[in-house]
Amino acid sequence: MAEFVTVGRSDEVTEGEAVAFVAGDEEVAVARVDGDLYAFSDVCSHRRCNLAMGGEIEGTTITCECHGSVFDMATGAPMNPPATEPIAIFPVREEHGEIQIEV
Amino acid sequence: MAEPASIVIVGGSLAGATAAASLRDVGFDGRVVLLGAESLPPYERPGLSKEVLRGEQPIEEQYVRPAEWYLDQEVELRSGTRAVQLDVADREVVLAGGERLTYDRLIVATGCRNRTLQAPGTSLPGIFELRTAEDAAAIRAAVVGGARVVCVGMGFIGAEVAASLRTIGCDVTVVEVFETTLYRILGADIGRVLEGIHRDHGVAMVFNDTVASFEGDRRVEAVVTSAGRRLECDAVVVGVGTEPSVELMAGTGLDQGGGIPVGPTLETGVPGVFAIGDVALHDHPVFGPIRVEHFDNAVKMGVTAARNALGGSEVFADPHWFWSDQYEHQVQMAGFAPTWDRMVVRGSLEERSFCAFLLDGSGVVRGTVSLDWPRDVRRSFGLISAEAPPDPLALADPDVDLRTLVRAGER
Repeated sequence: MAEFVTVGRSDEVTEGEAVAFVAGDEEVAVARVDGDLYAFSDVCSHRRCNLAMGGEIEGTTITCECHGSVFDMATGAPMNPPATEPIAIFPVREEHGEIQIEV
Repeated sequence: MAEPASIVIVGGSLAGATAAASLRDVGFDGRVVLLGAESLPPYERPGLSKEVLRGEQPIEEQYVRPAEWYLDQEVELRSGTRAVQLDVADREVVLAGGERLTYDRLIVATGCRNRTLQAPGTSLPGIFELRTAEDAAAIRAAVVGGARVVCVGMGFIGAEVAASLRTIGCDVTVVEVFETTLYRILGADIGRVLEGIHRDHGVAMVFNDTVASFEGDRRVEAVVTSAGRRLECDAVVVGVGTEPSVELMAGTGLDQGGGIPVGPTLETGVPGVFAIGDVALHDHPVFGPIRVEHFDNAVKMGVTAARNALGGSEVFADPHWFWSDQYEHQVQMAGFAPTWDRMVVRGSLEERSFCAFLLDGSGVVRGTVSLDWPRDVRRSFGLISAEAPPDPLALADPDVDLRTLVRAGER
């Protein structure tokens, strides 16, 4: 059953940064762009590098620091190779200063 | 120009496979033929010196696309097929065996081959090079369980192989012609930092020396150096540089020793013929004519060539980027800087955590090298492309976001 779980505090994710959290069994990255939150799998679909660790955010894309794959954080779509497969995305919300993700 | 009916790609590795995929991604539904000299479907090579050599990942995990993707996408992947000649007048590629394939556009991604050492005993069993999955498997088979290995050459391949072989328990000795590791690309100061890391991991290193001969009865037993050292070993891995594979272009004037010359849009002087990846000597808008052998460049040139083969005129202006994993450390580099006048460091070479900026005589950042400090390499892309001379004090200050320096430079 999908449900929203609290993964951290709102102030842990600052503008233009991605932060790694664990939600259930999922390694999830949460990024904030123009105030909006995006939650997506923290594991690159290319070689399983963690995206939040060093991933560079530009607009709503994040670039994996290992090998340069680019993903759209809103859709999970691979925007630039070497990754060819999408990453999972998750519904995310902020309630009472907490970040909640539906997994 | 009308939309081409058929596009032939020569070279079934990362650049060629990425070009094929990009043609389909942008909706090209004509014929795409991808010729690969090796028997495997296109695979990524970086893992060959690391995960594959250490036995942590099978080669299948390195495939650029799953083997069935080519069928699904109607890309005619012909593995084990070598193209031997180009007939520009008739727009045909001649295959080994004589078959001729017509093309409307041709993308050449034939890559490089390894330089070989001219030394007595060089053909003894137990002496390896590394370029293919087959090479990686052969090295692994020879050293697994622990062996005494001499790595000849301490460029990126040599350094990664030495690190991987140490990690799986081999005794490793390095013979390198220059004064330290990675000297030619990164210079002495950064090279010595990497040298220290290898030393700490127990690699024995011989610098300013070369191989005079290989000795052995039925297989290699020792490397004898010009300075007279005799290094006993069970196996040798030679990594002494590469040369571009340009033979296909014989007779076109494009078979040059420095690579196949291409203009800013990756098209050669022969209309409709493009060259990409390791083999392309590209007229780069920032760096001038250069040829690089980076993974990222193979990917990005593949994408751009596909678009331009379909009528685009996109200039390829990527600032260039690559990484190298050695032990738990990662080197990254952006830009192109065969020489530099000044190096500005943020972080610390001594602490093995830094980002170094390589400046030319005008103070323009031509290259950025990091050790375990990747963020600022990526953030320096704009700085390199803009060719603006930033304030060196700002470069050295870890609290200054490099992206703001680009904007300052543009003003």
